[in-house]
Amino acid sequence: MARANRVVPKKRNLELFMLLFGFGLYAFALAQVQLATILILRPDGWFYWSLPVVAATVFHLVLRFRASDADPLILPIGFLLNVLGIMMIYRLDLVKSANEDNSVAYRQVIWTVVAILIAATVLFLVKTHLSLRRYIYISMAVGVLLLVLPLVPVIGKTVSGAHLWVSIGPLSFQPGELAKIALCIFFAGYLTSRRESLSVVGRKAFGLRIPPARELGPIAFIWLASLGVLVLQRDLGTSLLFFGLFLVMIYVATGRVFYVLVGFVMFVAGALVASRLMSYVGGRFDAWLDPLNDALYQAPGGSYQLVQSMFGLAHGGLFGTGLGGGLPQIVPLAQSDFIVSAIGEELGLVGLFAVFSLYLVLIARALRIANAHADDFSKLLSIGLGFVIALQLFIVVGGVLRVVPLTGLTTPLLTAGGSSLVANWIIIGLLLRLSDTLPKAGTVTE
Amino acid sequence: MSELALFIVRAGFLLVLWLFILSIIAIIRADLFSERVLTKVVEKNMPTALSSPTTGITNLGDFSAAPGSSSIVTAINATPSILVVIDGPLQGTELILDRKELRIGRAPNSDLVLDDDYVSTQHARIQRIDDGWVIQDLNSTNGTYVDGQRIGAPVNIKPDMQIRIGKTIFEIRG
Repeated sequence: MARANRVVPKKRNLELFMLLFGFGLYAFALAQVQLATILILRPDGWFYWSLPVVAATVFHLVLRFRASDADPLILPIGFLLNVLGIMMIYRLDLVKSANEDNSVAYRQVIWTVVAILIAATVLFLVKTHLSLRRYIYISMAVGVLLLVLPLVPVIGKTVSGAHLWVSIGPLSFQPGELAKIALCIFFAGYLTSRRESLSVVGRKAFGLRIPPARELGPIAFIWLASLGVLVLQRDLGTSLLFFGLFLVMIYVATGRVFYVLVGFVMFVAGALVASRLMSYVGGRFDAWLDPLNDALYQAPGGSYQLVQSMFGLAHGGLFGTGLGGGLPQIVPLAQSDFIVSAIGEELGLVGLFAVFSLYLVLIARALRIANAHADDFSKLLSIGLGFVIALQLFIVVGGVLRVVPLTGLTTPLLTAGGSSLVANWIIIGLLLRLSDTLPKAGTVTE
Repeated sequence: MSELALFIVRAGFLLVLWLFILSIIAIIRADLFSERVLTKVVEKNMPTALSSPTTGITNLGDFSAAPGSSSIVTAINATPSILVVIDGPLQGTELILDRKELRIGRAPNSDLVLDDDYVSTQHARIQRIDDGWVIQDLNSTNGTYVDGQRIGAPVNIKPDMQIRIGKTIFEIRG
């Protein structure tokens, strides 16, 4: 009965319109990159253009038949962020010297296709997100397993000090990226069933309602687990992401500021102790506080990268140098951790704000989906998925812009890297599924 | 490529990028402000849930019969009642009963969603009959209680009657 009232074609047609707009924008971007860096249009641009375009079109068709009432903006925004990333990576590839790896964009295009097709498969497999609630403890086990996997001796691989990679033969993968989705599902399911007892009002002190001591068990456990990630995997970013995600979700579930304050204090205390004990964390702090110090600038693993990125952003100014006009390639890891500074240099503050606006709308859509859902599990899951993107963006962009210490996380959808693309497209697939199963218009909820 | 042409291409790219974002904002805006209108149109075109008032409760399950729909629409617009949750997790929630039918249950597409282990997926239904409201249990596992009595047949709701479903107690006012 509810199905009959849906205004189905309108949403999908809007999506198609925005996608076509995105396809055009992408062609413009690639043409501009080629004209500005190699001064001619090369036919291999077609390869970079057509593969993501075909994949996005397939995804759009899947949505028409499988989730016709899904949000019309999520796919075009995801696509545009993804191809803006490819555009920047391709531009960096074109100016690399012969002995550098200049097929990063090529691999990124292949991964984009794989990631979009995986997201489409998710829509086929997950007919309703409520079925995920049955697997919350399995999700927890899978999440923890994925986090521990890089520590397994034979398959684990260490890249720039952090134990985040798993490599089997020629394939390497960052399982932590997928762990964040699994843990998101677990947190949502766990907090749905524990919501009431966690929000029990205990004593009141300093204007805060303090819950009974036994309710602090879960938060202490997650705190220890994220410190474990910090110490064993030597990765501040992942650890901060998981703990932050848990705090956001427990706050949304209970409405108690107390948990956020306690969690925040616990994390800062843990990180300060870690920065004293572990040189890796300490170095990041020093580079953050005083990057222009000459000794730090010269030191290996010091602030050189951060300072180059600051110079790059300053060079870009308000409107940027234009694609191909700047020198973003002199920032180490410009195509991964520092892609934001490459975009900031070449497209300027105006272009960077355009990228941030895309993220803002994407996250706002996730929050809107959460708001429109009536049951706790769907609400918490949408909030969690939205905040995985939001927190990750804050941690990595905050690191590049020196708001917080620099940590190694990927910029969602922009950064070069297959694991990150797959994980973020799965998040997009789940958000689309969540938006398709919204209660019909006019339904009143809490 | 001349400097000027390159400049135009670069400025044009930023312009088109922002045009994309402005289109998104325009879509969100249209979405926000058209929703109310859309619901009204949809409601008008919906087959009326109630049969003619004289046949009353016996025809509750019959969705296809729809004579006398216009009079019901006007009656609903006159004075909407309010459903007030007085106990349970949703305590304090008020629902304006501006429709002909309200479904209660654990299913996310219910009009009043109760996330409670004692509530069935499709638990109960409240329908407008003449100027009053009638509650009908949809064969739920744990039942619907009106003033402490488990109901079998549909019951006419009088003001200040307390209805309990699972942990939730509500009444209809106005």
